[in-house]
Amino acid sequence: MANLVKLVEHGITMARAGDRDDLSRRLEQTRSRLMDPSVRVIVVGEFKQGKSQLINALVNAPVCPVDDDIATSVPTVVRHGSPASAAVLVAGSPGGETELKRVPIAMDELAAHVSEKGNPGNKRGFISAEVCLPRKILSGGLSLIDSPGVGGFNSVHSLTTLTALPTADAMLLVSDASQEYTEPEMRFLRQAMRVSPNVACVLTKTDLYPQWRRVLDLDREHLSEGRQELIPLFPVSSELRLHAARLEDQELNDESGFPQLIKHLRQEIVGNSERNQEKSVRQDLLSVIEQLRLSLKAELAALENPNGTPQLIADLELAKEKSGESRKRSARWQVVLNDGMSDLISDMEHDLRDRLRKIQREAEQAIDEGDPGKSWEQFTEWLEERCAEAIADTFVWTNERAQWLAAKVAEYFDQDEMALPALRVDETDDVMDPVEPMPVLDPGHVKPTQKILIGMRGSYGGLLMFGLLTGVLGMALINPISIGAGLLLGGKAYKEDMQGRLQRRQAEAKNLVRRQIDDVIFQVGKQLKDRLRLIQRSTRDHFTDVAEEHHRSLAESVTAAQKAATTFSSTRELRIKAIRTELERVNVLHRHASALTAPQMVTAKP
Amino acid sequence: MKPVTSAAAELLRETTELYAGDHTALSMLEAYSCRLQEPLRVAVAGMAKAGKSTLLNAIIGEEIAATDAGECTKVVTWYRHGHVPKLTLHPVEGQPRELPIRRREGHLVLTLDGHRPEEVKHLVVDWPSPALKNLTLIDTPGLASLAESVSARSENSMAPDDAPSDADAIIYLMRHLHSSDVKFLEALQDPKRRFSGAVSSLVVLSRVDEIGAGRIESLVSAGRIADRYRQDKKLRRLSLGIIPVAGLLAQTARTLRQSEYVALAELAKVDRSARERTLLSTDIFLASKNPSTVNEEMRTCLVNRFGIFGIRLAVVLIQSGSNDATTLAQELARRSGLDELLDLLQGQFQARAAELKIRSVIMGVDQLLKDRPRPGAERVSPMLERLLSASHEPRELRLLMRLRSGAATLPREFAPEAEQLLGGSGTSVSKRLGLPEEAYQSEIEEAALAAVKRWRTLSEHPLSDRAVIDVCRTIVRTCEGIIEDLQSTADQR
Repeated sequence: MANLVKLVEHGITMARAGDRDDLSRRLEQTRSRLMDPSVRVIVVGEFKQGKSQLINALVNAPVCPVDDDIATSVPTVVRHGSPASAAVLVAGSPGGETELKRVPIAMDELAAHVSEKGNPGNKRGFISAEVCLPRKILSGGLSLIDSPGVGGFNSVHSLTTLTALPTADAMLLVSDASQEYTEPEMRFLRQAMRVSPNVACVLTKTDLYPQWRRVLDLDREHLSEGRQELIPLFPVSSELRLHAARLEDQELNDESGFPQLIKHLRQEIVGNSERNQEKSVRQDLLSVIEQLRLSLKAELAALENPNGTPQLIADLELAKEKSGESRKRSARWQVVLNDGMSDLISDMEHDLRDRLRKIQREAEQAIDEGDPGKSWEQFTEWLEERCAEAIADTFVWTNERAQWLAAKVAEYFDQDEMALPALRVDETDDVMDPVEPMPVLDPGHVKPTQKILIGMRGSYGGLLMFGLLTGVLGMALINPISIGAGLLLGGKAYKEDMQGRLQRRQAEAKNLVRRQIDDVIFQVGKQLKDRLRLIQRSTRDHFTDVAEEHHRSLAESVTAAQKAATTFSSTRELRIKAIRTELERVNVLHRHASALTAPQMVTAKP
Repeated sequence: MKPVTSAAAELLRETTELYAGDHTALSMLEAYSCRLQEPLRVAVAGMAKAGKSTLLNAIIGEEIAATDAGECTKVVTWYRHGHVPKLTLHPVEGQPRELPIRRREGHLVLTLDGHRPEEVKHLVVDWPSPALKNLTLIDTPGLASLAESVSARSENSMAPDDAPSDADAIIYLMRHLHSSDVKFLEALQDPKRRFSGAVSSLVVLSRVDEIGAGRIESLVSAGRIADRYRQDKKLRRLSLGIIPVAGLLAQTARTLRQSEYVALAELAKVDRSARERTLLSTDIFLASKNPSTVNEEMRTCLVNRFGIFGIRLAVVLIQSGSNDATTLAQELARRSGLDELLDLLQGQFQARAAELKIRSVIMGVDQLLKDRPRPGAERVSPMLERLLSASHEPRELRLLMRLRSGAATLPREFAPEAEQLLGGSGTSVSKRLGLPEEAYQSEIEEAALAAVKRWRTLSEHPLSDRAVIDVCRTIVRTCEGIIEDLQSTADQR
């Protein structure tokens, strides 16, 4: 790593010497990325599978609270840092933008902040907690994220986890050895695979279950049935590992299964991200060097061979013009990107609307079938869950398409081995947040006095009407017939009123559902659109920068060549010499840079 | 026979006459009248791998239902009492067939005789076990299984859309409250169905010996977790009670062998730190040679039948004075929560068995009348209605559920007494009245009269609203029933 930083710094000095501040800026960005590597591994699973204990065993310290009952209520990030410290992230004032505040806390207070006991259901509203530990395993920039367990992957939680996935480099799906994968787990895995292909599965608690090998085989079978045979599956025992650490027993540690998992984390996940990092550094360096070399070479050629200069300049001009084109808005890649994005946005909107409309129809049918007032609470819950499910689907799908589009654009961009821009959009886990909670529906209780009044209203009319009618026959206003009619009509009025109330409640409930769904479409659509626009912008900026640099390099070469043509012969020799040494230095850097990554190819194997 | 049971029999007779000539209806009716005579049917349900078959074995007291690390119950299987062991397959179409009985390591081998699981309605096992005399148990495939058709079969059997459920009551197993659990329990109480809440359910927090990595305090934690679920409004609404049970422990306790006891006693003699070391994980325990008197075969047996937690617990029990296999078995059974479960089964289900069964029958007849209307049905309908209103226990159960869920409200100071009177803590007369078991006849009568008076006053209070009055009436009816029973027994003497 230090080696890389040195190379990049070398490149920066050279770019500065060549008076190319645009190139040196790009390399500076590369350097800052290198200096602060971060590999985020999110640990997910249903509750009580041993996620927190897994992290504790990985870092050999009781950082995440573990309990026999449901323990974790706030996501906790464990990363490298010395000395050990802990903090919670609190959202800023509710009125302001999403500004995060870091509040340092004592290490031993962590449990009180993130556990279900100290902070049930995360009532105190922490965004997340952070723990820094001086551990070797974390030193590569690895940060482990402990997520609150989810009961059944089909709820709103699953959406939260899914939306957090694109920001993570890898995911560990934790399931214990008591049983094979269940349907919700497999469904979640399939969805997660589509968002982030870097998934590993962990089978925990192998110390407790004698048949864990059977379960392991069954799980492997399920994975291969779903064509996920490439997902590695690690059987581990956190208890054994913690015991091994206490007793300093290497053999026990080997038996815990952790060495393989750690190896995977280091070689595959951290290693992969390092290799990717290296690859992108190499690409940055090579492209910078190529551009520096271009102008030097052009000048050198013009100096050495003055007769060929006009031809050289003409060639360069042509190339410059061509590259100038790709800077314009009308460039092919720009068109592909813009068209693709607007297609994607409209498809996404349609998809979301379609899914939610289906839910709306279902909801209306359910409302028609009974009195919505009585079970409104369950009904809202159901609606919320179904919406979350639909949004999760749309989200996964959109994410896939966006990535595909970026790759497509890179293809059009006329340069081989183009680095894809990092499509990292943070802070997406609040997709559902801005939607107002469902309002309360009148449960439809009618007080006895009200009932009497309703009945009276009807019976009064009946009494009067029949009383008058029978009055013609010479009877009193209140007589048995008129009383009977009154009672009859009163009962009827009461029944009709009840019917009317039910219908009104049903209509109101439907209205509420419609409004809620509209709200969801509006808010979530906006969020997703924003996300896509962000991706579009970052893709465009990335490629425009590259085009810009390329163009400038060509322009500089042209000027250099032109300048060379007018150089006096006395200074010419000197200049040639200077350029030769400069070029030699550039070439050395080029050799170093191209030597990167090549020897370190490790074949991925589960 | 209780008067309601004979009324139900009467109803069935009338309906049978009505449907003379209709073979499908007649066979259904015959099944219902059999059901009246048979013991109560209790289904054991839950998500895949919740430990249904293990618990079933524990209740029966024999390892007959097959248990495995993978999913193994694929079809609905009934276990009922019979003098000779017999296995009958009921296909969806066609006649039931008897299958040969084979056993492997004590477990019954359930072959489907060439049928695919979806072609089989259910299997019936007749077994000469005393535990099955008053109880027919129904083992069901797991819900939320990866093989969806398996789950569907289970749900269909217990909460069918168009017929009465096969089961009169359900023991629902869950390890933690999972959304699939709530979904299923809610389906049982679906208000859309006319007889919502027809099937009463008891929730068992299962496999509690695995909580907290098998530490010896696991059972204490389990009790705490069960307490938390008891406070959970959602769950209270859906079940009659929640108890933690360590199924594996219970099963082993009921079937403990002398050889196992000897091996455990050997293990208890080993020095403590060395023993803890060998009990760190199952793999280490299996590979260990300490003590050498316990061979590998025995170790495998112990691990499979006790689990790591079970071995740890048994060793502690032996050290603290369980000197022989019988005492150890008793202690294990007590700690596993099985006794408590059996008590609750007795208290909530068995005591109400007649009413629960009648309820299933009423539902069936009602559905039949709706599905196959016949002239003359108006003769049967009033009987049906009468029976529906006469059977008081279901109303009690429903009210109990509603009280617990908060759907029915009472002034706070009255709520606990109401639950008690409705049989929330036991259906015996003295339990209902909150008296000691050995209370005198006169005391009971006095208490019951006082209760009637108290609740009647509340129901007649001008400020009580309609819902409260309904609740009061049901409770008054319960108390009157108690007094009636007391007087009739006094008369007999």
